[in-house]
Amino acid sequence: MNLFKSELRRLMRRRLSLIFGILAVVGLLVLSGVYWFSSSQGPSEEDLAWAQGEADEMNGEHAECIGDPAFFDSPEWEWVHEDSAFEDMSHEDRCMNFVGSGDYTYTAQDFLYVYTFTFADESPMTLIGVAIVAGLIMMLLASSAIGAEWSSGGMANLLVWHPNRMRVWGAKLAAACTVCAAAVVGLLVLAFGLLYLTAVVRGSVGTLDSAWWEDNLEMLGRAVILSLGMTVLGASLAMLGRHTAIAGGIIAGYLIIGDMLVRFAAMALQMKFPDRLSLYTWVGAWIDGKIELHDWSDVNAMQPDVMVITASEAGLLLGGIILGLTLLATLAFQRRDVA
Amino acid sequence: MSPIIEISGLRKSYSRAFRQPHNALDGLDLEVAAGQVHGFLGPNGSGKTTTLRALLGLIRVDGGTMRIFDQEVPHRLPDVVSQIGAVVESPQFFKHFSGRLTLQLLAESAGVSKARVEEVLEQVGLKDAAKASVKGYSLGMRQRLAVAQALLKQPQLLILDEPANGLDPAGIHHMRELLQWLAHSEGVTVVVSSHLLSEVQQLCDSMTIVSRGRRIVDGKVADIIAGHGESSLTVRFPDAASLPEAADALKEAAATAPEADVSAVVDRDRLVVKGAAEAAWVTKALADAGIYLSELRAETKNLESVFLELTGTAPVPGETVQIGQSVEVPAPAAAAAPATTGDETIEVQAEGAER
Repeated sequence: MNLFKSELRRLMRRRLSLIFGILAVVGLLVLSGVYWFSSSQGPSEEDLAWAQGEADEMNGEHAECIGDPAFFDSPEWEWVHEDSAFEDMSHEDRCMNFVGSGDYTYTAQDFLYVYTFTFADESPMTLIGVAIVAGLIMMLLASSAIGAEWSSGGMANLLVWHPNRMRVWGAKLAAACTVCAAAVVGLLVLAFGLLYLTAVVRGSVGTLDSAWWEDNLEMLGRAVILSLGMTVLGASLAMLGRHTAIAGGIIAGYLIIGDMLVRFAAMALQMKFPDRLSLYTWVGAWIDGKIELHDWSDVNAMQPDVMVITASEAGLLLGGIILGLTLLATLAFQRRDVA
Repeated sequence: MSPIIEISGLRKSYSRAFRQPHNALDGLDLEVAAGQVHGFLGPNGSGKTTTLRALLGLIRVDGGTMRIFDQEVPHRLPDVVSQIGAVVESPQFFKHFSGRLTLQLLAESAGVSKARVEEVLEQVGLKDAAKASVKGYSLGMRQRLAVAQALLKQPQLLILDEPANGLDPAGIHHMRELLQWLAHSEGVTVVVSSHLLSEVQQLCDSMTIVSRGRRIVDGKVADIIAGHGESSLTVRFPDAASLPEAADALKEAAATAPEADVSAVVDRDRLVVKGAAEAAWVTKALADAGIYLSELRAETKNLESVFLELTGTAPVPGETVQIGQSVEVPAPAAAAAPATTGDETIEVQAEGAER
């Protein structure tokens, strides 16, 4: 317990933890600010008056054109007579083309652009995005904490105090997961509060019935589990590579190039449902609860072949990958010399 | 009373691509008695740090046994680790943490009180710098911090790899007094690995010298120095051209006298004479040959000369001693027999060795 507490403190006292924490909170404030300033519950009197003025001006100009057969004789419109494209056009058509839209009468609505943030509709995806970004941050933080300890020599120091390596590794993983869970839940609560406040003041809350809570809490729960998995993955890769850069390189390599290569390979093999080779597909299935892949390779078929990936299947695959890498890291830590 | 540290036949080899494996430890034996400051010496690459790392469970060994406080390590290391404080190789810490926080985290992890952190900071002279981040510490300050973390647990066994590294003269003096006080007043057993031989000579009660992963000699420092390293005389002449003539004269005189084992070797501007019972015999033999000396000095035996002799790393004019060129010690089974290195012969066990 002492070791766990000191690992927790070590992780919290790192400068990178502080920087990431500040960045995450600032990011949330910016996101809420964007919703806050882009959302409104309806146009103000001033906006309405301006929009009505615009509509009246457009309608008036069109009426003036229709009523004045010499409208296009003024120097301003002289070029219309010189352009052969408008030679055979009637006066009404010219009016419709240049100063109006025929029979359509403009209203103030045409000049008002109102976006209303509806909490019930938009917050779930935003909150899941927050959980995934927090998971990515924790993955970097966990890999950096383990990697820095190897490169600084702190690991050797710690093992001189605590020769039971499994205990050390367990304490480090537990501390990383605890910080991750606390950070993700904390950020979700903050995001929820900020978005709810935005909806109350600047938008609409919508209907938050029991079905809404049930669906979204389940989805958010899976997002939190995913971020914990990402934390364990980051720590395990750093433990295997004994350097932050190696863990970061593997993660960035997969995100940037690996997934693309997998897709190219799938295309080259002409396999059905090539998307199933991408981890993003399985992550999507895990979060959403289910994902359907469609295959149209049979051009004569009326309906595509469908492959359904459920959250359970995605959980098994993603969990298996994380567990496999964690076991490898554990084995490596247990057996390899500490130089 | 059984030794605090007991190592027997320790082996460790590192595999190398396309080359023979490197035997870092090749059947090493080591014993350290309680309440002593024990020096652990050897040339670079002789296996000192590997041995200490193996003792502390940082590396796996290929063979042999190790016991600390009568417990087999590394299997029972968790049982005795609370009594061991150690610094292995260069002190390294997380550079953004302060000295105090570094110690506090270690103390917290092992249930050591915060008050003890302040005590050791005071003890190693880092109290005023405790708030500063380790990034700004000099090598000497990091060394002090490393020793502080080793002392945190109030250990009964202190293992220090190059503790004087980077310390200023006052720091070295302070460290020496601290370690001797710990050993002789507090009963702490201290194992020190160092290349500062004059420091080891002043600090240590006993020592083990290793070469190429095997023990050459062990015992009390004074006994080893007395038992090895022939005393010699340095002779200089007004004219350096007399040196070969003087050497021949001494050899001729030795051939007809009881001093049959006398050797006289020209070393740059001096003549080094070994095996002469008295300095007077040298002056007489030279005077009889009509050669008059300008200086005659008896060379005092010291650990450096003994070390260089035993490890076969004495510098030869015009040559550089390469890493791994130290003396090869026969396997432990034949340890009682003399070991041969080139033209010279050395006894593997010191006459003054305890065992």
